[in-house]
Amino acid sequence: MGKQAATNVQAGAEGTGSIRAVESLPHSPKLELVNSPKREKILEGMLEAVGAEGYDSTSVRTVLDRTGLYRQAFYDNFADKDGCYLAALEMGIARFEALVVRGAASEESWRGKLRAGLGALLDELDAEPDFGRGVIVGVHAAGPEALSRRAEAMKRAADFIDLARDDSDESEEPPQIAPEGIVAGIHAIVHSRLSTGATDGFRDLLPEFMYFAVLPYFGADAASAEMQAARA
Amino acid sequence: MDSPSTSNPQRPTGREGLPRAYEVRSERERLLEAMVKTAAAKGYEATTVADVVEFAGVSQEAFDEMFESKEACFLEAYDAVFDVLVAHVTAAFEAAAGEPWPEQIAAGLGALVELLAMEADIARMAMVEVTAAGDDARERYRAMLTRFTPFMEKGRTWSGQGEELPADTARFAIGGATSMIFDEVRAGRGPELKRILPDLVFAVLMPYLGPEAAEDEMRRVTRES
Repeated sequence: MGKQAATNVQAGAEGTGSIRAVESLPHSPKLELVNSPKREKILEGMLEAVGAEGYDSTSVRTVLDRTGLYRQAFYDNFADKDGCYLAALEMGIARFEALVVRGAASEESWRGKLRAGLGALLDELDAEPDFGRGVIVGVHAAGPEALSRRAEAMKRAADFIDLARDDSDESEEPPQIAPEGIVAGIHAIVHSRLSTGATDGFRDLLPEFMYFAVLPYFGADAASAEMQAARA
Repeated sequence: MDSPSTSNPQRPTGREGLPRAYEVRSERERLLEAMVKTAAAKGYEATTVADVVEFAGVSQEAFDEMFESKEACFLEAYDAVFDVLVAHVTAAFEAAAGEPWPEQIAAGLGALVELLAMEADIARMAMVEVTAAGDDARERYRAMLTRFTPFMEKGRTWSGQGEELPADTARFAIGGATSMIFDEVRAGRGPELKRILPDLVFAVLMPYLGPEAAEDEMRRVTRES
């Protein structure tokens, strides 16, 4: 169905496609802004179901039970469970990124932005652990397309981290791989907590995350100071 | 186990590059090998018991007697594969016991990428497909990765920072490295995995030693490879 939807959209560009086909196309975040409360509710329910029960155990039925919606509402919006999860994943990633951007907006320095942005993300995990688990752990069971979305999001996170180069002394810049390692390492810690069923304590990780992120760009003293500051 | 090649796990010589340990005798071992190969080739989701049985040349009844499910077979095969990986890395790490800790780590990582590069099936099964094989498999994967923790934690003493380093330092280091390997293997670049060895060395050492010492070791590895 995913492929067919994409084909329809191609046709749509020539004036024959339907809006619904466009909506189900990955990579069309603007078109997905077409606001549908039911659709939103299903996406949310999908992530929470996957987070609470695991991807394999989640069915369209489970999602409907959680949302209190009828089958029709689901199939009006999505071809199947996989298609729905993919859209939900994109929504979840977009929400996380928006939280980080909003958190970072009020800060001037790279360190301030990272502390506030990452802090906002960790607060969200504490508030909605199932939602977070649905995104961060669930993605691994959802097939290659979903893994590509994950890889793209990790890349964007690494680019965000790497803005540190603008603030750091150019003579001490770390190798190109540094931001990727930071994102992957932080991700591994969060993933590990989520997959063992943790429901809180994510915010407590902020000091060590700041240590790991600051260390390669600014050195051990700055990283330790940052860790202490974030603990306070 | 009396095959000459088993004494040197760094040089698998089996047919199609499988280590001797996987050139199997029993039906059980043939099924486990078939699971590794099939899951690597088709992906775990698409793999059926019928595929595994056919590849192994073993009857469905025999499979049913030995394994409760496809997943049970996968998990057992996974344990066997990871045992090989850990043994291989441990051997390289121990062999470099007289060297400074960063060089020991580089030796262990070197052995890991060497084996994974040579054994495309093992790499795909152990590092990628496992994350698609259900909650139990993912939990197993997570637990398996902690078997590398003792190698990492020597870095606390070596760096002189001990408990001042964050509690999750080993998880951060291992997570960074496995994520890079995951991306390469998933993109089909498993056979060229050695190319990212310097990056892996940096990612693993950096949280313990800071960027400068980690980059020094990264440069040394680059020169030697």
